[in-house]
Amino acid sequence: MAEDLYSVLDVPKTASAGDITKAYRKLAKKLHPDLNPGDKAAEEKFKKITAAYDILGDAEKRGRYDRGEIDASGQERPQQHYYREYAGGQDGARYRSTAGFEDIGAFSDLFGDLFGERGGVRGGRGGARFSMRGPDAQYRLEVDFLDAVNGTKTRITLPDGGTLDVTIPADVTDGRVLRLKGKGGPGIGEGEAGDALIEIGVRPHPVFKREGDDIIVEVPITFDEAVLGGKVEVPTIGGRVFATVPPGSNTGQTLRLRGRGIKTKSGTGDQLVRLSVVLPERIDEDLKGFAETWREAHRYDPRRKLKEQA
Amino acid sequence: MLSERDLVARVQRLTVTRLRVWVRQGLIKPADDTTQSFSEADLARAILICNLEDQLGFSEEDVPVLLNLIDQIHGLRSELMSLLGALEDLPPDVRATVKMRISRRGGSGR
Repeated sequence: MAEDLYSVLDVPKTASAGDITKAYRKLAKKLHPDLNPGDKAAEEKFKKITAAYDILGDAEKRGRYDRGEIDASGQERPQQHYYREYAGGQDGARYRSTAGFEDIGAFSDLFGDLFGERGGVRGGRGGARFSMRGPDAQYRLEVDFLDAVNGTKTRITLPDGGTLDVTIPADVTDGRVLRLKGKGGPGIGEGEAGDALIEIGVRPHPVFKREGDDIIVEVPITFDEAVLGGKVEVPTIGGRVFATVPPGSNTGQTLRLRGRGIKTKSGTGDQLVRLSVVLPERIDEDLKGFAETWREAHRYDPRRKLKEQA
Repeated sequence: MLSERDLVARVQRLTVTRLRVWVRQGLIKPADDTTQSFSEADLARAILICNLEDQLGFSEEDVPVLLNLIDQIHGLRSELMSLLGALEDLPPDVRATVKMRISRRGGSGR
């Protein structure tokens, strides 16, 4: 990863901020994954130039990079899912356009009929006797949050009583469509069977929330843990771990457990632990007495900002 | 499914006004039209439009042109996939014939 970021964007070290943006945009227009669906090499290059631009396009980060305070690696954020991942599935179908096929219809009767029918561009002409592929069958499958994260195998029962074994790959997101070849409706004549398209719905989890590749968990801590710090047991998608709460922690503060998030092809996310301080259910005389004496000497106003702003 | 507000919250630099303009222009078609709720594909598409305008510097007039082309590419890809899927299951000799005919026509010359 020791590659020089300036050479990644093909600009001199002395380039102005404007030149860097220009160079980045020129490359990005050529390499953006949604402008090159299916091109893996372009995607890799796009990631590289975007990571370089993340640093060089930001005056402060660029300065730190130039001074050697940060290196070229470790700055890359996991990318959002691209549109092209949805464009081929059922969810993306309403955007797909077959307007470009009208001339092909004139050129070939066979494809004219096929595309016309499937794309809704023209009415079916009928009468032609040829083999046709069977229709795709569409299903929706609800999976548990952890199964969607880790992947699983499951069996679904079809309306006609048959069953279908489905392998859910790891890191499947809500709305993704799995295609099982040949598991749809039977073909006509010599035509092959259609595919089963299974749209995945991910059930929310009571504890884990997903944000990109990060997992977010809210963890209550006691008043003494907040003041003194300590180790607390925290659930992660890979099992329980101990997290260190620093002394003086507060509600709303977040601890980052690196590498405890979702594993994807592009890297592994983190788990973010949001702390919330919880008082004991019953306040006993000890605590009450302590609060009264403490208040005498240590008044503080957590609402000062509130008053200033509203 | 995402409401208008959910979707806007999940995309940096996106505002409700901007999203509504796209929906009015037909660049984004809510997965459920009656409740104006959006799917993950709509979300990914909104991110794409933002990227095209903000990150890559395309102008607002360019974006509908680009999306139209992208949609055509995915239309083509999807038809091509089913065509190839159908070819794949033909007997080997028929496949060989098809292959030969295609290469005789030249095409892209790969």
